[in-house]
Amino acid sequence: MPARSIGQEFTKGLWSENPVFRQLLGLCPTLAVTGWVINGLAMGLATSFVLIFSSLVVSIIKKLIPSQVRIASYIVIIATFVTVADRFLAAYFPDISKDLGPYVPLIVVNCIILGRQEAFSSKNSVGRSLIDALGMSSGFVLALLVLSSIREILGSGTYLGHQVMGSWFKPWIIMILPAGAFLALGILLGIALQIEKKTKSRV
Amino acid sequence: MKLSVRMVVVLTSVGLLSGSFLATVGILTKERIEINKQRVIEEAIIKVVPGTESSTKLYEAKDFKVYGGKDPDGTLIGYGILVSGIGFQDKITLMLGTNISLTKTTRLEIIEQKETPGLGAKIEDEDVFLKFWEGRDCSQPISLRKPAVKTAEELAASEVNTITGATISSESVLKIVNNSVERLRQLIKEGNLQKGEQDAR
Repeated sequence: MPARSIGQEFTKGLWSENPVFRQLLGLCPTLAVTGWVINGLAMGLATSFVLIFSSLVVSIIKKLIPSQVRIASYIVIIATFVTVADRFLAAYFPDISKDLGPYVPLIVVNCIILGRQEAFSSKNSVGRSLIDALGMSSGFVLALLVLSSIREILGSGTYLGHQVMGSWFKPWIIMILPAGAFLALGILLGIALQIEKKTKSRV
Repeated sequence: MKLSVRMVVVLTSVGLLSGSFLATVGILTKERIEINKQRVIEEAIIKVVPGTESSTKLYEAKDFKVYGGKDPDGTLIGYGILVSGIGFQDKITLMLGTNISLTKTTRLEIIEQKETPGLGAKIEDEDVFLKFWEGRDCSQPISLRKPAVKTAEELAASEVNTITGATISSESVLKIVNNSVERLRQLIKEGNLQKGEQDAR
């Protein structure tokens, strides 16, 4: 693997290895909670918190963990931070916590997090792991924001709960339903692939 | 160190450290979460018993609590039954409001549920489910109308609507409600309900 600069380590998560648009990881919350921007944002931040701290801890103790029990150890570490995020939301943002329901505990099985531990934090230095986690988190938050913005504007005519579409606008109910999540994600993936193709062919 | 021993030591210490960390977080957040829950309950009583100014806890058992809603004069005007029961895949916690003679429901509020998003989770939906629970005759067990109808006028006095595609969740709510109304009626009959000297908080 060619050595990347610190900057590239961060930006790869935003685009070239974006967890949602390029790696198609962590699609369960991506599809499930993006009906409203506030929920997408909360989910993105909760996942980021878990990813950043798990990467930090895993990269610090990576040499201590025998490879046979590494997955089990990662899961315990990830589950710990997920529970912290869950309790924190329940204590300080009860409404969001209620809206997200089972999807916060489900961050445990989000493949982005375990994937980054296995593919990156367990092999790289603490600093690089942190940068990688920050980049991947930003990429994930970005993807959730784009998707939830499209779905909330088209599905409810609002943005962060504020009316943005005129009274002529009839909300497309389908966009806040699961089918709308698939439609919007499919179209976004298509666009991402097109952009990737265009930029590649130019090189 | 032998590998097998090292594996045990590492996993155990990771588990222990995580556990103690979580215990700390649990203690730190416990109080706030309790306060939030209490607030949700107080807001729910005001919703399910219209006209409630203050509320008192009248009875408490595991997964079954009865609150009394009082008007500004302090007269008991209705009951709010906070009850949990098994739903499709997890516990459903709801609050049912009834009048003081326990013959009519006033309103149903879902406090907590983890039903299937998009299907069973519609038990929280006002237009699909909750509005059909207002003013039902609960002097006899309430029954479900299947298939679902569009307006409340089409339902019999003791019928509520089913959610299309979520029969099990609808039936679960129905069962929880019918059991809790029956239980409260029994309590009143036996005179086991406190006459409201205890404050809700």
